Amino acid sequence: MVTLARPLGGLALVALAALVLSVALGSVTLPPGEILAVLRGQGSPLAQTLILELRLPRSLSAFAVGGLLAVAGALMQVLLRNPLADPYVLGLSGGASVGALAAMLAGLGGLVVSGGAFAGALLSTLLVFGLAHGRGGWTPARLLLTGVVVAAGWGAVITLMLAVTPADRLPGMLYWLMGDLAYARAPWPPLALLLLVCLLVMPLGRSLNVLARGPLQAAALGVSVRRLEWGIYLGASALTAMAVTSAGSIGFVGLVVPHMLRLLLGNDQRLILPACALAGGTLLLLADTLARTMIAPEQLPVGVITALLGVPTFLYLLYRSQ
Amino acid sequence: MGKRLLRGLPLVLSLALLPLVAAPALASERCAVDDRGREVCLPAPAERIAALSPGATELVYAAGAGERVVAVVAYSDYPPEARQVASVGSHTRVDLERLLALAPDLVIGWVTGNPVEQLETLEALGLPVFYIEPRTLEGVATAIERLSRLAGSEAAGEAEAARFRDGMAELAERYADAAPLSVFYQVWDEPLMTINDDHLIGQVLSLCGGVNVFGELDRLVPRLDEEAVLAADPEAILAGGMGEENRAWLTHWQQYPALTAVARDNLFFVPPSLIQRPTPRLLEGSRLFCEKLEVARSRREASP
Repeated sequence: MVTLARPLGGLALVALAALVLSVALGSVTLPPGEILAVLRGQGSPLAQTLILELRLPRSLSAFAVGGLLAVAGALMQVLLRNPLADPYVLGLSGGASVGALAAMLAGLGGLVVSGGAFAGALLSTLLVFGLAHGRGGWTPARLLLTGVVVAAGWGAVITLMLAVTPADRLPGMLYWLMGDLAYARAPWPPLALLLLVCLLVMPLGRSLNVLARGPLQAAALGVSVRRLEWGIYLGASALTAMAVTSAGSIGFVGLVVPHMLRLLLGNDQRLILPACALAGGTLLLLADTLARTMIAPEQLPVGVITALLGVPTFLYLLYRSQ
Repeated sequence: MGKRLLRGLPLVLSLALLPLVAAPALASERCAVDDRGREVCLPAPAERIAALSPGATELVYAAGAGERVVAVVAYSDYPPEARQVASVGSHTRVDLERLLALAPDLVIGWVTGNPVEQLETLEALGLPVFYIEPRTLEGVATAIERLSRLAGSEAAGEAEAARFRDGMAELAERYADAAPLSVFYQVWDEPLMTINDDHLIGQVLSLCGGVNVFGELDRLVPRLDEEAVLAADPEAILAGGMGEENRAWLTHWQQYPALTAVARDNLFFVPPSLIQRPTPRLLEGSRLFCEKLEVARSRREASP
C-alpha cells in the first residue's frame, strides 16, 4: 500500500496545485488578496461572481470530466486489450452526439440537450452490448468490431443531420460536437460519479491486472471473466456518458493519459485507475485554464490545448521508454 | 407632395415631443419584447450595454445608444467607433469573465449565434438578456425602436427606424411595377448556397422586382450544385464574396457563356456587409440591389 500512496499523493498534490492555479487565473486579473478574501466569504461582488459562479464550477467540471474520460479510457484499454482503445471507440460519443443534435434539431435547448446526449449514449451502449453478444460467444475483437461499425453508423447519421440542418442552427451544433467546458453546468454529478467509480474499482484492481494478461490466464486464476468484462464495459460507458453529457466529446484525454501513466508507473491497475482520475482531471483542468486565458478575450476550444499539451509529453515519454 | 409631407409628420412630431419624453427621471420601468417573444424589463434606461454580435452592435448604435456600448465581440466593425469598444471574445465563445468585469446592465444576445448555455449563465447571474434576430424588414425597424426604448434613446431610435421604413417604402413604391427579372443570389461558394423567399435577402430581392430562382425551396439557406443554377438560367447573378471587394465568385460563372446572366454581363457584386447583416445598412444594400436589377433590365432590351 505504501508503494501506491506515494505516486497517488504526488498526483493529488499536483491536482490541487492545478485547481488553485485555475481559480487564480482568468481573463480578468484578480490580486491574490482579493481571491483569498472571496474564499473567506468577503471580497467585492464582482470577484465573488467571477470566482464562485464562473471559475470554481468550471474548474471542478473540468477536473471531473478529465478524470472520467481517463478512467474510462484505461478501462476500455484493459477490456479490449488494444492500446488504441479510448472511451469513444465503441461509438458512445457518436450516440451521445446524435441524441444531443436531435434535441437541437427539434429546437430544444439546455437540459433537454444534455438528456438527449445521455439517452443517445445509453442507447449506443445497449445496441453494442446486444449486437456484440450475437448468437455465439463474444470476444473482445467482436465487441471492438461491433463498436467501431456502430460508431461509423453514428458518424454517418451526424453528417446527415448537419447536412439537413437549417444554417442558422448549425453553429450551436458544431460547438457541441467540438466539446467545451464553457457549457458545463453542474460539477457535482460528474465528481460524485468519479469518486464512486474509483471506490468501486479499487477492490477489482487485482482481477483487472490478471485480465489485462489475457482471459485464459484470468479464468485459470479464478476470475469470472465474462461478468468482469461486462462490468467494465457498462462502467466505462456510464463514465463516458456522464463526461460527454457534461462537456461534449472532448478527445485525446481518454486515449493518452492511461498510456502516459503506464509508461511512468507501470501497468498495475490498482495504481493506474486512481492515478488516471487524478492525472486526467489535472490535464483537462490545465488545458481549460490555458484555453480560456491564452488569447483572452478570445476563447479556444479545449481539445486544441489537450492535444498541444499531451502530444509532446506523450511522445517524449514513449521515446524515453525502453 | 402631400403624401411626402404626411410621411415626415411622425418624425416632426417625435422631434417636437423629444423634450417631453426625455424629461427628468422617467423612473418607471422600461419594457420591450425580444425576438424570442419574452418581455424584458429594466428598472431604468440601460447605461452599460454589451452587444454580443456585430449586427447587435450596429443596431444599438442605430438606436442612438452607441455611447453606452461597453462590450462588443469580434468583427464588430461598424460604425467605426465600435472598433474602440472593449471586446469580449467572439460571438461563438464569449469570455464571460471579461464581460462581467465590464459590469453591463443589459446584454443583447443573438438567438441562434450565441451559445445558449452562456446566455443562460448570464441570466442566472441576474443580467437581463435581450435576444434579437430580425427576420423581416419591419423586424429591423422594430428592433431599433425596441432597443432605443430599453436605452431611453427613443427619439434617435424612432427617427432612425422611420428613416429605414421610409427608405424601404420608397424603394417598394418605385419598383412595385418593375418588370419581373429572374435572379440568383449567391451567399457562399463552397458549398454553393443561396437564400429562399423567406430570407431577409429574399425579401429585398422581391422588393426590387426580382424573382428569386430558388425562392420556392423549403430551406431558408438552401445548398445547391452548379447544375441547378445552370438549369434555372437566371438573368442576373448577385453575389457577395469573402471580403468587401472580392469578385472571384462572379468570375467563376464566366466559364458558362451560355448562361443568360453571363451573356448579358449581369454579374453584380454587392458588399456582403451591406446586405447580409439585419441592420439599417440594409437600406443601402437594398438600393444597390435594386439599381443592379434595373441595370439588368436595361440590358434586356439591348440584347436579342
